[in-house]
Amino acid sequence: MKDFLKRMRLMAAIVITKLAVIGLRLMNRGGTSLPGKIALKICPDILSQLSDRFRIIMITGTNGKTTTSRIAAGMLEKSGIKYIANKSGANLASGIATTLIEALSLTGKAMIRTALLETDEAAFKITAPKLKPEIVIVTNFFKDQLDRFGELYSTLGHVREGILGSPESTLILNADDSLCASLGQGVKNPVIYYGFADGVYPETDFSSNNDAPYCINCSARYSYSSVTFAHLGHFRCPRCGYERPEARIECTQVLSYDNLTSTVEVKTPAGKIAARLALPGLYNIYNALAATGLGHFLGLGVDDIKQVLEGFESGFGRMETINVMDKEIKMILVKNPTGFNQVLKYLLTQKNKCAVALALNDRLADGTDVSWIWDADLEILSVMKDRIRSFYVSGIRAEDMAVRLKYAGIEQELIKIEHDENRLIDQLLNDVTDNETVYILPTYTAMLEIRQVLKNRFKLKDFWK
Amino acid sequence: MYKLTICHLYPDLMCLYGDRGNIIALTKRCEWRNIDVETVSVSLNDDFDYKNYDIIFIGGGQDFEQTIIQDDLMRGKRQRIIEAVEEGKVFLGICGGFQLLGKYYKTQSGSEIECVGALDLWTNSSEKRLIGNLVIECDFLKTQTKDGYVVGFENHAGKTYLGEGVKPLGKVIKGFGNNGEDGFEGAVYKNTYGTYAHGSLLPKNPALTDHLITLALLNKYPEFQGLDPLVDNLENLARTTVIKRILAEKA
Repeated sequence: MKDFLKRMRLMAAIVITKLAVIGLRLMNRGGTSLPGKIALKICPDILSQLSDRFRIIMITGTNGKTTTSRIAAGMLEKSGIKYIANKSGANLASGIATTLIEALSLTGKAMIRTALLETDEAAFKITAPKLKPEIVIVTNFFKDQLDRFGELYSTLGHVREGILGSPESTLILNADDSLCASLGQGVKNPVIYYGFADGVYPETDFSSNNDAPYCINCSARYSYSSVTFAHLGHFRCPRCGYERPEARIECTQVLSYDNLTSTVEVKTPAGKIAARLALPGLYNIYNALAATGLGHFLGLGVDDIKQVLEGFESGFGRMETINVMDKEIKMILVKNPTGFNQVLKYLLTQKNKCAVALALNDRLADGTDVSWIWDADLEILSVMKDRIRSFYVSGIRAEDMAVRLKYAGIEQELIKIEHDENRLIDQLLNDVTDNETVYILPTYTAMLEIRQVLKNRFKLKDFWK
Repeated sequence: MYKLTICHLYPDLMCLYGDRGNIIALTKRCEWRNIDVETVSVSLNDDFDYKNYDIIFIGGGQDFEQTIIQDDLMRGKRQRIIEAVEEGKVFLGICGGFQLLGKYYKTQSGSEIECVGALDLWTNSSEKRLIGNLVIECDFLKTQTKDGYVVGFENHAGKTYLGEGVKPLGKVIKGFGNNGEDGFEGAVYKNTYGTYAHGSLLPKNPALTDHLITLALLNKYPEFQGLDPLVDNLENLARTTVIKRILAEKA
């Protein structure tokens, strides 16, 4: 009887969720989280019940989850594996439930048997032990949205707890991140590490390591033989000996690097790959390495992996290019200081003149505390200000961003506040000439709002497709 | 030409939630008035010779980082911090930096971690984190044209209580403040200011920033006559916009 009730609950949850998804789509709403919320209400242990119907790959970490998921999806496709994924950043338990249920028939049979799930770090703690993933990819840990999680080390603790609840999962971990790599210490899980070979990316600025300069095991200050950015690099603790583990997937050379692409040489156990990534920025090389780890796990050959890496196009919103006549709008998501700094460094590689808009919201999904903008190096914009035709700030906390720009060295007369997204886009496009670029750097919900306007005006694809 | 030296204590460890913005604000508001500024970082195993500094700042840290500095702080720098505070140096401690200027921090298990003891206050860990926007009213910043409101964002797991030797920084208008119970936020003793407000605190509250700069200049240059006014339209717009929004939110 109990079993019967359990099954009925599950069936009810599946049917109602499917109807909710259809209903929301008909109303032209994304419908990525709400249906799953309903499912979890009706059948709270739905994730555990569904787990054995799927082969599950989870991706978590502070930055790069979405891009890594997208490249990982390419690896699955190349392996001939049909999969479902929560593509649009619906990465809490509810979004995961929606995604899994969508792959079920009305009778609860999985029509697609592999699920690629980008997962929020706090949600990972609860969902991973239930879903029993075959593979867990962790990107990195940076200070992010601390108001929600309390502390960076609690975020790491969430992921660690999720992994301890999934002792069978193969872990694909960032070797260069002392926090991320520590997840592979003292566990029985098989681990595949990825990272940059020593000295491949010679960064001299060691001072920007503010997130994790001290040993996670014994609190002594790490020494580094090389740093890629922030606290990522070849670390070693002089006291307890904890050091950057050997990486099976390793970037051994950066052959070229500009504002659109980077060409890298990657060493894998199957051989070396030279691939031209259609993605700028050092952080995206890490994302490519993480996905290469999955390709290696799936048994793909070097040519296949190369094709996936070269064929990848940028994920929803993280970096999106929209052409408007002879002008171009590039929208790049910013959500924490390290990610913001990487985007600002990317702007530095820009040779043409451009216009820049920063859109800051403080909703839950953005982080309700906006003080992180003071931890990002906006001063970079003042270094290149002769190349920037205009500075706009937008979003709920536009005025805070305006103050940040002023204290970064931009004259206050040059900073324009524009809350209306339509007018913002008009003015930005007006300020640049042909063949120039407008950069919009929004936080998460600001991106959704601006994207809606761009979608209406320039016919973008719906993001859940 | 006037010159101020700012000391940033443990910038590699105690620097959370945009604490760096406070140093940026102090620096810029001096530079815009042609006051020369230098910032010196003092961290683990460094000498803290407070006499060389005019403004001393310490920010917040996560638990992990606070345990790292504990030894260095209590063995080496403690006595000098007490002396600096007693001598009337301008000192600003935020969040964790505020807590450790007090007498002790009592953990969940009831054990007391000894702190610097420069200020007559103490902190008990709280089960619930106190998180959210914070608006306080500071009498010492009130003038005929200024409301004395200071806005920030608080995020702390400790409840702080003030002894008789210190005064609160302000009255809570919105948010939790020191402990969410007595309606007060922060502490002032001589020229030392402690608060839970980050956000960053100083850029958006130029009156408070200028108050600290003025105190530091008066300490160093007794003949100092007062700061030249600056155009603070953006700062005030940011301050009043967010205050208006916070006060309109439901409790």
